[in-house]
Amino acid sequence: MVRVKERYLLVNIIYPPEDSRAGNSSKPNLIVQHQPTTENLTPGILVRALKAQVASLFGDYGAGCLESDLSVKYLSLATSTVIIRCSRDHYQMLWSALTFMDRVPTKDGTGRPCIFRVVRVSGTIRKAEEEAIRQAKQRLIEAKEASSQTPSSLAPREPSHPDVILDAMDGSDDESMHDADD
Amino acid sequence: MLYDLNIPWSPSTTDSQLLQTLTLSASLGYGAVALNTTLTQAPSGQQGAPFPKLSHDSSTKLPRILHRATLVFDDPAASNFSLPALVRIYDILAVRPLSDKAFQNACLTFDTPIISMDLTQNLGFYFRPKPCMAAVSRGVRFEICYSQALAADARGRAQFIANATGLIRATRGRGIMISSEARNALTVRAPADVVNLLDVWGLGREKGMEGLGSVPRSVVVNEGVKRTGFRGVVDVVQALDAPPTKEKKEGQPGQSSNKKDKKQKRKNGEETQNQSKKMKLVSRDADTAKK
Repeated sequence: MVRVKERYLLVNIIYPPEDSRAGNSSKPNLIVQHQPTTENLTPGILVRALKAQVASLFGDYGAGCLESDLSVKYLSLATSTVIIRCSRDHYQMLWSALTFMDRVPTKDGTGRPCIFRVVRVSGTIRKAEEEAIRQAKQRLIEAKEASSQTPSSLAPREPSHPDVILDAMDGSDDESMHDADD
Repeated sequence: MLYDLNIPWSPSTTDSQLLQTLTLSASLGYGAVALNTTLTQAPSGQQGAPFPKLSHDSSTKLPRILHRATLVFDDPAASNFSLPALVRIYDILAVRPLSDKAFQNACLTFDTPIISMDLTQNLGFYFRPKPCMAAVSRGVRFEICYSQALAADARGRAQFIANATGLIRATRGRGIMISSEARNALTVRAPADVVNLLDVWGLGREKGMEGLGSVPRSVVVNEGVKRTGFRGVVDVVQALDAPPTKEKKEGQPGQSSNKKDKKQKRKNGEETQNQSKKMKLVSRDADTAKK
């Protein structure tokens, strides 16, 4: 019996930093970028927007490839985190559609501008979930540090992102990817 | 470290816009960016780079900032620029040829490390493998700016993909550098997203990562050596202080010095023996003479 092979994309919605001149930039950058999504975003709306974007980029072929197997598994507006499932053969199309989206999809099309950033591609939802929890924890620590930091005690922080890139690049450490191949 | 060697700047760009873009690209993982100004003719008079000095509170992290100029030219010789003057002002120079002849010239003779094109336009010529490969082997890199595609309409996007795939085909993916050309913060994308996007367009994942990392790094380092090094070839990386000479002599490998010491001791001993013998002989002679 052959399983249907899938990919789970863990996606963060990132908002651009505030205009430092216009408002009082009291909030740390990190918190602004990962602020909660306040729009009325539901899984259904997101799926429809994604399908429209895929159709505009890849035409009927792309829309057909992602027609049946695209679904939003997890959507947290408070942390602006989404987990999307699609078939393994076509996840790159979905990913590039996400790259091309530039605002939060809503019913009336008045969402704020944002960036959809894929932070993890994995073969099981469990790994995606673990990664989401790990990142949320790390972000919490960083936010605490940022808010307690005074300019004098500014220590050079470790860059937290480069490992994430590699993470998203290779999913080979996922055990399900091994048994997905046999 | 990841590089994004094209953040366009023009006199109409406000500091806060620029700061927004820079903070976002820093938080997405880019370690160095280059502010880019576009020149259509040589700047008049002696002046430094036009970029503003960014003032920011120390809590926002910014990437390392380089200065770059892109020379736009139509006629093949690009006679209205004097490169040595520009080299002194900017860290990196790039060219944007607008015609076939100019492109060929940029590939084969022009002394700038980056060829950057507006890929959303119909260029009016194809990328032929021969001049492109010649350029790559000469050390010239081709730049693909992804946010041109993000900001373009459907027609421009199609044109961009056609040109990008043509370029990738002509160079077989070698010597391709990826940068953003993000006019506002919203057209910057995370490195992994960009690599995936170019993977869809035919540039392999490995090559894509190189295009964000080692390729632009080589450009930056080469340009740095050209400006600071001796005749553009040798660079003084780090000068050690002149070592105190005594210590160095003492610090020579211990065994050999010990051996030498021993030898010297032995020599000294022999000499003393000889001397004592001689002394004995002399004294004996003296005794016999007395007798």
